[in-house]
Amino acid sequence: MDRYHWLLVFHVAGAFLLLGGAVVAGVFNIAAIRRERPSDVALLLGLTRWAVIAISAGLLLTIAFGLWLVHDAGYGFGDAWIVSSLVLWALSGFLGSRGGRMQQETRILAERLAAEGDAPSQELRARLHDRVAIALRWSSGFAALAILALMIWQPGG
Amino acid sequence: MLAILRPDSWNFPLFLHVLGAIVLVGAVAATLLAASRSNDSALLRGVAFRTLLIVALPGWVLMRFAGEWINSREDIPGDPGWLSTGYIVGDMGLVILLVATIVGWWSTRRPERVWPARTVTVLAAIYLVALLVAMFAMSGKPGA
Repeated sequence: MDRYHWLLVFHVAGAFLLLGGAVVAGVFNIAAIRRERPSDVALLLGLTRWAVIAISAGLLLTIAFGLWLVHDAGYGFGDAWIVSSLVLWALSGFLGSRGGRMQQETRILAERLAAEGDAPSQELRARLHDRVAIALRWSSGFAALAILALMIWQPGG
Repeated sequence: MLAILRPDSWNFPLFLHVLGAIVLVGAVAATLLAASRSNDSALLRGVAFRTLLIVALPGWVLMRFAGEWINSREDIPGDPGWLSTGYIVGDMGLVILLVATIVGWWSTRRPERVWPARTVTVLAAIYLVALLVAMFAMSGKPGA
């Protein structure tokens, strides 16, 4: 294997960690939204911490090996699809971190309610169905998916 | 950056193939996480089973059929190792997924038994490792 293919392996591995992690987070988030008991919500949202680790590692690997690939393969840093990808990468990370912070607050609330009797709570339900938090997470995922499309079609490349 | 030179007509099936593979990897990882912590949790057993049924199996179908679509267009000469690895992991993976889904359903019906959840955990772990090997083979194309 030449250097280009090694760089590609790590870049693709990063993309799988990033988007695969988003799928993991989506599975547990959707399952949590459908639950009423705080202990169930805390259990499911607690599992999304593994997804956050995968997404963070994926963000780092994709940008590091992506930039190295641009240099190694002779692409232009000013090419439209590369500039667009970098903007979407930053946007995805920003939206995901904002949505993740709101989700972390929801998990902490669920853990507290679980310790205080585990009764269903209107506040917890409202947080789970918060449209801003849901929109932030989905937007982050779609931005990452759009990067995948740009990587394949390479418009203007 | 998935390939330097590639006809435009391959892009859509390649996108679907990679998307299916990513969904599959994420779903298998979620199944592994849920099943490995579900010894005394009916909730997590249900999540593991539904993830296999609703997310992993459709992801496999998308990955496998889009892969075949690309292969029909690309017409790769010979039988390179990286392509064989993809086929083996893809086709054996369906068997693993189906067995895991059936055992996962069984685990939701028999919450007092531990072995079904452990079996799903082991199957998901094996398949996740196999998928990572396939990802390495398909993107690095060693020996090509």
